[in-house]
Amino acid sequence: MKILENQLSTPGDFLELLQKSGYSLPSNNLGQTNKLDSSELIHGTTILAFHFADGVIVAGDRRATAGNSIMYEHCDKVIPIDDYSVMAIAGAPATAFEMARVLSHNFEYYRRSQLQPLSSEGKIRALSRLLKENVGMAMQGVGAVSPIFALYDQEKGKPSIHFYDLLGAEFQITTHTVTGSGSPMVKGVLEYEDMWGAKRLSERNREEAAELAMRLLHTAAHFDTATGKARPEDNIYPIISFISPEGYQFMDEKEIAVIFEKSMKRHINV
Amino acid sequence: MFDEPYRWTEAVSARHSYVQEKLKKAYPVLAIPFNEGAFLMAIGPQSGKIYEIYDRIAMGAMGHPADIEKMRMTLLDMSHLEGFNRSVQDVVLGRLLQFGLAPALKQNFEEVMRGPYLVQMALVEVDGKGKAKFFRVNYDGHWETFTRGTVIGGDSKLTSFVEKQLSEVEFSNLPLEEALVEACKLWKEGMDKIESEENGIPETMKKILDDWVLETAVLNYKTARKSIVRTLTDAEVDRLKASCEKI
Repeated sequence: MKILENQLSTPGDFLELLQKSGYSLPSNNLGQTNKLDSSELIHGTTILAFHFADGVIVAGDRRATAGNSIMYEHCDKVIPIDDYSVMAIAGAPATAFEMARVLSHNFEYYRRSQLQPLSSEGKIRALSRLLKENVGMAMQGVGAVSPIFALYDQEKGKPSIHFYDLLGAEFQITTHTVTGSGSPMVKGVLEYEDMWGAKRLSERNREEAAELAMRLLHTAAHFDTATGKARPEDNIYPIISFISPEGYQFMDEKEIAVIFEKSMKRHINV
Repeated sequence: MFDEPYRWTEAVSARHSYVQEKLKKAYPVLAIPFNEGAFLMAIGPQSGKIYEIYDRIAMGAMGHPADIEKMRMTLLDMSHLEGFNRSVQDVVLGRLLQFGLAPALKQNFEEVMRGPYLVQMALVEVDGKGKAKFFRVNYDGHWETFTRGTVIGGDSKLTSFVEKQLSEVEFSNLPLEEALVEACKLWKEGMDKIESEENGIPETMKKILDDWVLETAVLNYKTARKSIVRTLTDAEVDRLKASCEKI
């Protein structure tokens, strides 16, 4: 990089800065890659998000698998991107973590260099762009990522949830969404809870939302080997975060342990 | 023109005088510790002196806005590339200055046919344990580090006074709100030492804060956020104004 000669054609674009310094996204190297055995790659997940009374909850299990092997039980699948957004990842962690890192630097670089935060629409499109550039890897079956992106829009004063397909198409979710290998097991339960539960999802408070998320992840783990159950004896619990006007907030381990114990009891709550 | 040694040294000397003269009227930037980190503070009729650089780094500068912008963007590019390619923990101010900014600024005195950068900077970095490190970068690329805070300003009477006070007052024991009030006192006393009719500074600190622009960057290591740099909230500024009524 030439010091003091930093005119970017798109001001505040961290991707452009990266490319100028020699970085290229994986799909740009497709011609040089051999097809990999996808069963050897780490993947598998259940992540979910829904609107509740105080904002948005985003939660995920902690397991990473490669084929039939459990590779890791401490995987943080909900990643803070900037003060007002989180990304939950399902799919190939290598690509997903890289995307989160690019996004995080992208948003912060824009905010610091342009002296104003990137708009919510800009943030949402930035993830679409990364997914689009990853299509080649996804088509090879080795780098597919299916993320959930949740953020608080400071202009509009409200949180939002966005689901993406592998090609980068973005869909705003007004109630709830689940993705990952364990999602088919709980998608219907979430819809049922919203339609016929004691309260709609959007009417539940923080504790009720966390309890439901915990139960859903437990249920998904019961049927899907790639989704990890909580292991209180090893202090491993799902990761739960909230998006509110104050930005993102992660539930700390002590609170999660209490919520877990409560949510696993057989009682009618909501 | 520069084929004789005397001509060369004369050109360099003239360049120093030119830059110093241009920076002479600049309002100061104070970099000060408090019990949970550090802050940068600048007060003046216009904004454009204090900026966030990276998660744990902020910059204060005085000089020509275009040159400040060049320094800022250089630090931003370097820190973000380093943080992305290696780790957030590898973004260390000492390295950014030693290998990036200082050599570039030294060009001020090597390419004497080019216009010099009119800029001086005070930077602060707070590590994970809350230890603050302060840096002062001169327009010629020379840089120094401090642990008790530092100051940049156009007038040496002011900077000498503030430096002396920084070595005597234990700012690092004070909570943020008290440290800010003490910093305002220091700023006012320092400005009073160089006050002249042309400065046109309002009489009281309260009036100064009401009429002029207060810029801050607070780095609090106890925050739960990834980036620990923030500006003062409106409520904090209101409380500061109330505390400065008698200054």
